[in-house]
Amino acid sequence: MAYSSKVIDHYENPRNVGSLPKDDAHVGTGLVGAPECGDVMKLQVKVNPETGVIDDAKFKTFGCGSAIASSSLATEWLKGKTVEQALAIKNTDIVSELSLPPVKIHCSVLAEDAIKAAIADYRKKQQAAEAPAAAQPMI
Amino acid sequence: MPPTIQACRECGGGAPIDAHFCPQCSKILSLGQHGDYFAFLGLPRRLMLDAADLEQRFRMLSRQFHPDFFYNAAPAERRASLERSSYLNDAYRTLKQPVSRIEYLLQLEGAAARTPQEQSRQVPPALLEEVFALNEELDEIRGQRAAGAAARVLAPRLERARQPIERRRDEHERQLAALSAEWDALLDRAAAPAARRPVLDALRECMLERNYIRNLLAGIERELGD
Repeated sequence: MAYSSKVIDHYENPRNVGSLPKDDAHVGTGLVGAPECGDVMKLQVKVNPETGVIDDAKFKTFGCGSAIASSSLATEWLKGKTVEQALAIKNTDIVSELSLPPVKIHCSVLAEDAIKAAIADYRKKQQAAEAPAAAQPMI
Repeated sequence: MPPTIQACRECGGGAPIDAHFCPQCSKILSLGQHGDYFAFLGLPRRLMLDAADLEQRFRMLSRQFHPDFFYNAAPAERRASLERSSYLNDAYRTLKQPVSRIEYLLQLEGAAARTPQEQSRQVPPALLEEVFALNEELDEIRGQRAAGAAARVLAPRLERARQPIERRRDEHERQLAALSAEWDALLDRAAAPAARRPVLDALRECMLERNYIRNLLAGIERELGD
């Protein structure tokens, strides 16, 4: 099976590989896996508290070229987007940008899941941080 | 309810759904509606199959369906012999290996995930954490090798990384065997579907970690082999 030139480019020069401090209140971490191929993907976003915009995104994927390319592309797209805009990214957008063949569509699904998981984690942290403050006027 | 009888193409008589030849006119039956791989081979849906018995059933049916015997037969019979031979080969290949047998059973019993999304959401987070950490450790070792570290320095580290994965694999195999035995026991005493469900769910969850374990061990073998 031939990879598209875009997949090869992301595979050979992956963007934003690495990790962000997991315990930072403004960092959301998503860790997802595809059991049918044994892939595992970690994707993190750092949200600017003032603007609500994603300042930074990092990933680390252990898997095939398409899984690496899908997560690499996802981190590129995430930077500069608001959390809501990020949630609007669909796996089909990744499929068409990278020209993924049908057997590799699950890699893009994994990337979409990773984005959603990272943002869910970020929101959970925010809620946990806001909860005591919101409770204060009640006292 | 799935059908339990089929009609013979030649004489119009009724035959049990998993019969291969018409009990009335003895012609080979067309492969239309039929049961599953287990039923095709005359077996209950047990997971601990006797390999010798399975092979014997395969060989016997294989001879009966063989297209050479239908060389001069009518086109419909020739087609039926080809279809039955081909289905038989698929059935044998699937049931011969314990792992593909389990996967097939999960599909049959409606316990397999239908979409990749569904499947990926079923992986326990603790397993992903563990797999990710082990992958990172392997990645670091690879990095050290690329930086020129000697094999004798890296080998002990690889060995240390391998131990927890091998333990996990052994535990995984034990669990699969225990669950298979449990499934068979339930089947043997005709337990209700609701009673069988938890065993199927446990089997499905157990199967999820299989490829992770395999990939990690393959990664270590590659590093050790270089």
